[in-house]
Amino acid sequence: MSETTKNRLLLVFALLLAAVYLFPLYWMYITALKTGSEMFATPPSFWPDDPQWSIFPFVFQLKGMGQFLWNSTVIATGSVALIAVLGTGASYVLARYRNVWIDVGLFLVLMLQVLPASLMITPIFVLFTLTGILDFPRTAVILAIAAKSMPFFIVLVRATFMSVPMELEEAALVDGNSRVGAFWSIVLPLARNGILVAAILIFMQAFGEFVYSKSLIQEIELQPSSVGLNAFMGPNTNEWNRIMAFASIYVTPILATFVLLQRRIVSGLTSGALK
Amino acid sequence: MRRLYSSLVDGRGFDLCLIGIPLAFLIVLSGVPLVYNVVMSFQAVDMFSLGSFIRPWVGFDNYRQLIAQPEFWPIMGHTATFLAASIAGQFLLGFALALFFWLNFPGASWLRGLFLVSWVMPGLVVGAVWNWLLSGDFGVFNFVLHQLHIISGNVFWRSDPAFALWSVIIANIWLGTSFNMIMLSVGLSSIPADLYEAAELDGAGALTRFWTITLPMMRSSIGALVSLGLIFTLQQFDLFAAITAGGPNNSSNVAQYWAWDLSFKQYDFAKGAAISVIMIVVVMLASVYYVRSTRHEVRG
Repeated sequence: MSETTKNRLLLVFALLLAAVYLFPLYWMYITALKTGSEMFATPPSFWPDDPQWSIFPFVFQLKGMGQFLWNSTVIATGSVALIAVLGTGASYVLARYRNVWIDVGLFLVLMLQVLPASLMITPIFVLFTLTGILDFPRTAVILAIAAKSMPFFIVLVRATFMSVPMELEEAALVDGNSRVGAFWSIVLPLARNGILVAAILIFMQAFGEFVYSKSLIQEIELQPSSVGLNAFMGPNTNEWNRIMAFASIYVTPILATFVLLQRRIVSGLTSGALK
Repeated sequence: MRRLYSSLVDGRGFDLCLIGIPLAFLIVLSGVPLVYNVVMSFQAVDMFSLGSFIRPWVGFDNYRQLIAQPEFWPIMGHTATFLAASIAGQFLLGFALALFFWLNFPGASWLRGLFLVSWVMPGLVVGAVWNWLLSGDFGVFNFVLHQLHIISGNVFWRSDPAFALWSVIIANIWLGTSFNMIMLSVGLSSIPADLYEAAELDGAGALTRFWTITLPMMRSSIGALVSLGLIFTLQQFDLFAAITAGGPNNSSNVAQYWAWDLSFKQYDFAKGAAISVIMIVVVMLASVYYVRSTRHEVRG
């Protein structure tokens, strides 16, 4: 068997694996396009006879998805901004020095990352009630997500800063730059890609966040899409085509971003988490 | 004043400022709540005393009552099953896929990256999709199993107490397999190729090479990944909320969902906090192991 045939066979098998693995996603889109009766047909059809494209605008209107998606975007943007501003500096310091205190700091950061959100929510709820932050529920969720996800950001961005040669910064200092100047104009631009990838990953996480939003936001007009989707799925629902349409609208922007930036996201993720 | 300013711009003050503010933020929003949780688990708490620190001290009463509840041991058992099955499934499938994509044919790395969509999707959406896939009467999962002659009648994944936990496990394995695969691929690609060439010259077969080179060289990646898997799996909440909500009759309830349910649905904050403390101890042990496994880093 020649090299090319072997490669082709492997590629075909890989495509097959990917098709099996990604079938749930396909099924989500296909179900959304089916009519009410086709959805419950046995045997199930794997291609819609009469695709109902109008279901997307219909569900969008029916469930007021504009507001849900807007809230998700606000929460995700706020979290990313807060995490990027606070986390970038921290990861720079944690990457630049090596001593006992840095190890302690790193350990603390990692420890705080591992606590399940569903357990931390009660004390956070109390804290926000006492300080009055709960009157601004989306801000409260942003703060909670920032605390939860910042360690992950620090782990990823720290790996990026580690790969920036320290000599460059030292040269800038010798040339008369201040520490702030060297950080701002030399180190940050070199680490820009890594920071961007980490920020995108955080954005995706925050865009789908559920526990904090569910527990802290009571007003329906301030809730993000994840809570909206949860409320849509009652215990004995049979509106699966509409739920899948909701899910499709919600998840498609994330999937599109991911597929476009896939190479960078994967390499950014792998350089941080295991090194 | 000038010295303070110049230190901030050009000296130690700059570093201290960069690390100090985030650390303070994390301590206020993660550290303090953690301590509060621990304190609360030793106190009698109700709706009205939730906001004050001064509450009657009850020692280990909350823990004793918690363990005395009939659902305590079943739920702990479910948590253990959920952890073991999810981690084993994610790891084994991920490892098999990583080994396959390691063959490095054209397009391998792009396709491999595509798998990761399962991991970046919101947990609620993954839960909703699997909820529908696993539906008893009309679910396509049952249909496929039936066509493959694995089952003869429909399995009611979400409503049958024997299967409810497994419906969440299946969804969780799907969600995490891709992450495991990507991380294991990194470990695999860092094994020097000449090791394999040397072994091949010495006449070692594929299986011998796997056992004597691949596995030992991957030890630290595997250790880190399994402990990371433990941490992620213990954090899994969205799938429970979206698929079974812990039911029917607690048959798919796990500790992290139960703690939230006790606090936010039944307003039994002290017991919720007690579960938290038990879980936090487990998670802390896992993360100590994770930190130890990831310490072989080299400055690039």
